[in-house]
Amino acid sequence: MSLMQPPDGPRTMIDLPVMPAASCEGVVVANVPVSSGLLQLVVEFDSPVTFQPGQFAMLNLAGDSALVFSRPFSIYEAKDRRMSFLYRVVGRGTRALNALEPGAALVFLGPLGRPFPQPDPDQPVVLIAGGVGLPPLAAWLDRQAGRHAGEIDAFFGARDGGDVPWDLLGDRWNISLDSLKDLPAGRQGWQGLVTDLVASRQDLGNRKDRMVLACGPTPLLKAASRLASARGWTCWLSLEEHMGCGYGVCKGCVVPVHDASGGPGHVRNATCCTEGPVFNAADLAWQD
Amino acid sequence: MSLPGWWTIDPTEPFTLGPRQFPGRIWTASGCFAYGLTGHEMKAEGFSSPYQGVGAVVTKTVTPQARPGNPMPRLVETNEGALNSIGLENVGFEEFLAKTLPALEEMGVPTVVSLAATRPEEFGDMVSRLHQAAVGFVHWHGVEINLSCPNVAEGGHDFGRDPDTVAACVRAAREYLPDRALLAKLTPNVTDISGLATAAAAAGVDAVSAINTVVGLEVDLKSGRPVLPRRFGGYSGPAIRPIALAKVDEIITRAKVPVVGVGGIGNDRDALKFFALGAVAVQVGTAQMRDPFTAARIAKDLAGV
Ligand SMILES: Cc1cc2nc3c(=O)[nH]c(=O)nc-3n(C[C@H](O)[C@H](O)[C@H](O)COP(=O)(O)OP(=O)(O)OC[C@H]3O[C@@H](n4cnc5c(N)ncnc54)[C@H](O)[C@@H]3O)c2cc1C
Ligand SMILES: Cc1cc2nc3c(=O)[nH]c(=O)nc-3n(C[C@H](O)[C@H](O)[C@H](O)COP(=O)(O)O)c2cc1C
Ligand code: FES
Repeated sequence: MSLMQPPDGPRTMIDLPVMPAASCEGVVVANVPVSSGLLQLVVEFDSPVTFQPGQFAMLNLAGDSALVFSRPFSIYEAKDRRMSFLYRVVGRGTRALNALEPGAALVFLGPLGRPFPQPDPDQPVVLIAGGVGLPPLAAWLDRQAGRHAGEIDAFFGARDGGDVPWDLLGDRWNISLDSLKDLPAGRQGWQGLVTDLVASRQDLGNRKDRMVLACGPTPLLKAASRLASARGWTCWLSLEEHMGCGYGVCKGCVVPVHDASGGPGHVRNATCCTEGPVFNAADLAWQD
Repeated sequence: MSLPGWWTIDPTEPFTLGPRQFPGRIWTASGCFAYGLTGHEMKAEGFSSPYQGVGAVVTKTVTPQARPGNPMPRLVETNEGALNSIGLENVGFEEFLAKTLPALEEMGVPTVVSLAATRPEEFGDMVSRLHQAAVGFVHWHGVEINLSCPNVAEGGHDFGRDPDTVAACVRAAREYLPDRALLAKLTPNVTDISGLATAAAAAGVDAVSAINTVVGLEVDLKSGRPVLPRRFGGYSGPAIRPIALAKVDEIITRAKVPVVGVGGIGNDRDALKFFALGAVAVQVGTAQMRDPFTAARIAKDLAGV
């Protein structure tokens, strides 16, 4: 049985075919650093796997060592029976993930959530990724490069030259760095915030119909949202909210959104894992 | 796991609880599987859906008015448990009655409706309206009155700790619920849970569910403050299983009322421990969040198939 067949059920608001999520175990085939701060985890399943860029999976350890909550990770790549993730070690769960050797079992639930929307055929697109916000946008670019007729400008902000997975990124990304430390010979980086780098690109101001797709820490998302709204661009953000279940049953991941159906100025709690993680920036009721 | 010799029940066979026949003994716990409308399309090897073999879904607790819930963060993980402060976010009784319950009936989900209120009469009102609206519904099996939500600021905390109040709530609900099972969900945050169970039994419940979450608190060392904005949360997961087992045992030996066991159940072994003490059914809470198929897997494993 293929665990992830195309759905015949309802489509998401963002009109892309979304597979029903599968709960299964996979086997780690690789778990290696791709930069000073990022690791790539490759997992193999019994049957073919697929996803839409922006979707994520809940990962956990198998058997009695399972963490109480699985952890959400954006899906970076899927080919045949293999899926891969890019992650940073920040706490207990990611440390445990980091300790997994090839051959170890991993518990998987996915693909989950709503993906990035499809731009119009020749709509120009700006990608803004920061840190571990890279995987869903790198996935998007991999799918669209050579297919999307509109211009695509991709920007990635990292801590320093060592933090950038240069070999994975190829030459399609404009890189900004907090510090120019450890920049490999022949590579280029702009020092400063990635959103400032985007703002400095006067040539992007020529069109109002650009679509921004952004993923990264909240300050980056807020800056991307401000920049987009100042330029009249539409902007979609993938949020990193804390999650308990990842599939909509616990309400542990809510984000306030504007909801005109509840009357002018009405704000409601959206469920990040099922209504997102990708949201239209204009819908978010940021509390700053 | 090979099943122990004393285990002779098939938990996916129907069993009788009060005036109802339930399709099975492995249920999902309130608040951990939404309303029972989510995830039907999900897949796992050997299962047609996460609902396969599940005896009942206890819905998220529904209150008379919709509630937006508490501020984020709402969940904290510890080594062996989860602390939650969801704040009873729910669609409210009117929407539940108009949309959710009919949808559950149409999808054939065996349902126990979890209700919370701040006054006993409100339980009576809600139950009588459910009763009227659901005439002829075959998949609605019962009501679980939530007397023990520790994280709702304006009540909850003390509400379910007093045997007289528990009895008043049960009586109010029972009056309008002659033909569906009535359960009272008890808080473990008391010195004498069997006293609450005895009061609930005398007032007419068909079973008690035990336990709800244990009051807990976690401190963020960086800030030196509690992690949860409301300070306290409800503790659940593997860490509370021994507490739940002790409370279930206390109730069964002292109060002589059927018990539905809840607390830290994540696999067939965990569930068997509650059955060993005499629980008539069990509910899967936190573990259902990690894997939507947990209850279905337990049902399958304990059915010995
Ligand atoms: C949709 C989505 C996609 C993500 N994609 C990636 C990715 O591709 N690569 C990557 O490295 N990280 C990603 N993250 C963040 C990742 O989930 C956290 O880094 C991870 O959960 C941390 O777990 P921990 O146990 O190591 O950290 P701890 O701090 O010990 O975790 C404690 C708890 O807080 C939660 N938590 C902590 N930090 C975050 C965070 N930033 N976001 C959400 N929950 C958090 C954990 O899940 C856990 O429940 C994503 C998060 C979301 C919501
Ligand atoms: C996120 C979350 C939400 C919950 N919401 C409710 C609720 O609305 N009503 C209720 O009676 N119990 C609620 N509970 C308690 C569970 O139903 C259960 O009694 C408790 O978590 C112990 O079981 P467990 O260890 O299997 O989770 C909730 C628990 C969690 C973790
Ligand atoms: S993480 Fe549970 S509802 Fe979103």
